Amino acid sequence: MGEDIRRVTGTILRAPLTRRTVRELLYCVLGGLAGMAGFWITLVLLGAGLLVSASVLGTVVGLLLLTVALRVSRRLGALHRRLASWLLGYQVQAPQKFQPGAGILGRLDRRLRDRVAWRAISYSLVKLPVAAVQLYAVAGVVIGLIDMTYPVVWVLFRHHSGGTLHPMVALIPFPVGGHLKISTWPGTFLVAVVGAVGVIAATWLARGINAGDRRLARALLGPSRVSELERTRTLAVEDAAAELRRVERDLHDGAQMRLSALAMNLGMAREKLGDDDEHADNATVRELIDAAQRNAVDALADLRDLARGIHPPALEVGLASALATLAASSAIPATLTADIQTRPAAAIETIAYFSAAELIANATKHSYTNEIKINIHTERSGVLRLEVTDDGIGGADAARGSGLAGLAQRVSTVDGRLDVSSPPGGPTTVTVELPPKA
Amino acid sequence: MRVVIAEDAALLREGLTRLLEDRGHSVCAAVTDGDALLTAVAEHRPDVAVVDIRMPPTHTDEGLRAALALRKEFPGTSVLVFSQYIETSYTAQLLEGGAAGVGYLLKDRVANVAEFTAALERVASGGTALDPEVVSQLFRASRQRGGLTTLTPRERQVLALMAEGRSNAGIAAELVVSGGAVEKHVASIFSKLDLPPDESDNRRVLAVLQYLGG
Repeated sequence: MGEDIRRVTGTILRAPLTRRTVRELLYCVLGGLAGMAGFWITLVLLGAGLLVSASVLGTVVGLLLLTVALRVSRRLGALHRRLASWLLGYQVQAPQKFQPGAGILGRLDRRLRDRVAWRAISYSLVKLPVAAVQLYAVAGVVIGLIDMTYPVVWVLFRHHSGGTLHPMVALIPFPVGGHLKISTWPGTFLVAVVGAVGVIAATWLARGINAGDRRLARALLGPSRVSELERTRTLAVEDAAAELRRVERDLHDGAQMRLSALAMNLGMAREKLGDDDEHADNATVRELIDAAQRNAVDALADLRDLARGIHPPALEVGLASALATLAASSAIPATLTADIQTRPAAAIETIAYFSAAELIANATKHSYTNEIKINIHTERSGVLRLEVTDDGIGGADAARGSGLAGLAQRVSTVDGRLDVSSPPGGPTTVTVELPPKA
Repeated sequence: MRVVIAEDAALLREGLTRLLEDRGHSVCAAVTDGDALLTAVAEHRPDVAVVDIRMPPTHTDEGLRAALALRKEFPGTSVLVFSQYIETSYTAQLLEGGAAGVGYLLKDRVANVAEFTAALERVASGGTALDPEVVSQLFRASRQRGGLTTLTPRERQVLALMAEGRSNAGIAAELVVSGGAVEKHVASIFSKLDLPPDESDNRRVLAVLQYLGG
């Protein structure tokens, strides 16, 4: 307990000295100033636009002003996203680009209905109080730092002999009754302590308000829910098309090819049999029929694999038993622990199954592991959680491996998520979280 | 008959080679992609090339493109395109420069070794061999069009066999009718399709091409 308190206190006290604080404060300055400027620019353009368009004569000018406001707000949104990414390392995905319509009226219409721009405008307006707090936090840090210099300033500039000394007035970043006047050197240390407390408090204020700003930016400057759905729907459609292409390709190169070869073998065997019993070339016929049989068996195996690739029959029984089959057929020993409370939707089961299959294949191919652990369970929230762990070499990266990236895409089509933890040297754990319903 | 084979599936490539060599033909080269096919044909100048449509690197239509290049650059070499699928547009492209020395067969046809080699020989000697599937597709495509709709079912059957590249005698044997009866049908087809006699006697091919040209 005491240990914890000491740790937390340490974190709180050390915060101003970290690099992150410098970045957060810089974000407060730049983001705050940009936010202030953005608010007034937006307000003036928007207000003028609305007022002028309300008057009959000024409609054209007013609409022009409105479109300027909308365009500017998009730019401002991009600026804020860039600041957040550069200083806070916080990525807000860019919303979809503006799609200009045809003709002047078409363009105007699209501009005025540009949801992204209207959301950016709402960000610019909401940003005012946020920016005020951000700038206030910066001011707090600056004032605190100045207070901390008092003992030194006293020594350097006040320690003259003779003459009356004006007391030093401590700067306090919020209105309290009266001024704190200091007339003695030891008193300046009190001011310095107050300043230090102020720096720490302002630092945490900056972090807090920035966290809020991040949320705002994500909600208002990122892609909207609708466009996110459009994006994942496109992914789903592409995924399905790619899947069909793969099936066709497998059929063409597998079963169809083997059956062609089978037909050829049988045709040649028939030729060798001739039309009367005496001239049959039995040895060759036997060999050809053997080959035909092999091709038939291989074609069956190909078709079975293909059918399983389309929809594993064991999934009919349930995800756990399908995964057990999968684990049993893994080239590297794989153990499965499963605790699935309520049966998820069929689409979710299928995605979970193919995720597991892909992850096992990845581990087998790339990790040089000796053991794979598969865990699947339902969380209290109903989320289905699949973890595939190996103790191999690590270094897996969803951004680089196309397999993992493809999987992440597939998972995102049902609002699921995929996380990769794979430090160099291992172990690698890939977690897939899926909602109970697609 | 000297043959070059282009087929990327080893099983079929070797099977075809064996099948043809068994029947006394010489397989000069068996390659796995379009570029190698052109090189092999330039080197061996075979009578006929058997070409798979889908080959590396893209597995789409490189075989067809190689076949069209062959037709242009090496008119002395006939081409039999050999595929799992029949695409009407492929047929049209193949027959664009005339139907002499062209064949387009489904891979299924190799099951009947005698018919397959007969078709190959026909193509090698400047004839035509179109898969029944090609022909029925052409019929379907041309059903809406004028001239062909006036054909009787029997004439249609005869035209289908003509399109496969059969001779009158071959058609007679297939339909189990007399040679005279076939000639009568053929003449009727030509007149219904408005194909006057000419000295090059290409009317058979023109009749088939009518399905394509529209």
